[in-house]
Amino acid sequence: MSGEEEENAAELKIGEEFLKAKCLMNCEVALILEHKYEQLQQMSDDPMNQVSQVFEKSLQYVKRFSRYKNPDAVRQVREYQLAEFELCVLGNLCPETVEEAIAMVPSIKTKGRAHDDDAIERMLNDLSLIKKFE
Amino acid sequence: MKSFSRMFLKVQMPWNVIIPADSLDAKGLMLKKAIVIRLMDEFACKKATKDRGYFMAVTTLESIGEGRVRQNTGDVLFPVVFSGITFKMYRGEILQGVVHKILKHGVFLRCGPVQNIYLSHIKMPDYHYVPGENGIFMNDKHSKIDKDVIVRFIVIGTKWMEAEREFQALVSLEGDYLGPVS
Repeated sequence: MSGEEEENAAELKIGEEFLKAKCLMNCEVALILEHKYEQLQQMSDDPMNQVSQVFEKSLQYVKRFSRYKNPDAVRQVREYQLAEFELCVLGNLCPETVEEAIAMVPSIKTKGRAHDDDAIERMLNDLSLIKKFE
Repeated sequence: MKSFSRMFLKVQMPWNVIIPADSLDAKGLMLKKAIVIRLMDEFACKKATKDRGYFMAVTTLESIGEGRVRQNTGDVLFPVVFSGITFKMYRGEILQGVVHKILKHGVFLRCGPVQNIYLSHIKMPDYHYVPGENGIFMNDKHSKIDKDVIVRFIVIGTKWMEAEREFQALVSLEGDYLGPVS
């Protein structure tokens, strides 16, 4: 089955990290659901009949709330060194300031983490640069 | 399950997929496709479960076990393991949703497949209802909560509605950086 997995990852160009991931960002879900929708279009004359309300509403939602549109950008964000859920929240909400980031994801500032304010700021800058250059 | 689960999850699940006898190809070439289609159909019917949340899509078929013929019908049951995407809202999660209905005691929002999210006026600090032909909520800084506005909120509770097979949620704006998003 690993052949199939590689094919999917390559087609979606999302990357190695995604395969291990449990929490997904909106942009990753958008790529997957769009891909699925295209597959359904190839398989059937009437793809809208095949997709459920859940699929349709979710696809609309993730497309609207995706911060990163380009699969390469998505991959870069995914490779960032954060805990999964932290990555997803930051990747989805894109806080602009350190205070906002800490309000959204309080765990990035807990004791024992290497992240001080400067490090958090650098990280936010990197994430917004990825968006700028995608 | 991790304690900090978030919105969209990729999960690996076992499932029993029943393939009607006439869909089976002698060489088994169409088997994977038939299984994926059956899974998607079942997702569409089932919509969601209390434990997993909403079923979105199958991402990979990890394995297909040996098929067992069901005596009465001639269908074949295949135990499969697949990875798929699910959606569930969790208490404490911060999400964005879209307002679709405004009443004087609160607003209703949608977020992904969840169509019934309620934000009570009690949980909108500083916002008050402004009546009119189309009522809205507004605060002292003229920030408006109107239909189709995107609002960032925190989830304070979710409820599984067995009959409708859907989740409802209660959310709040109590917290920094929550509220309408431009």
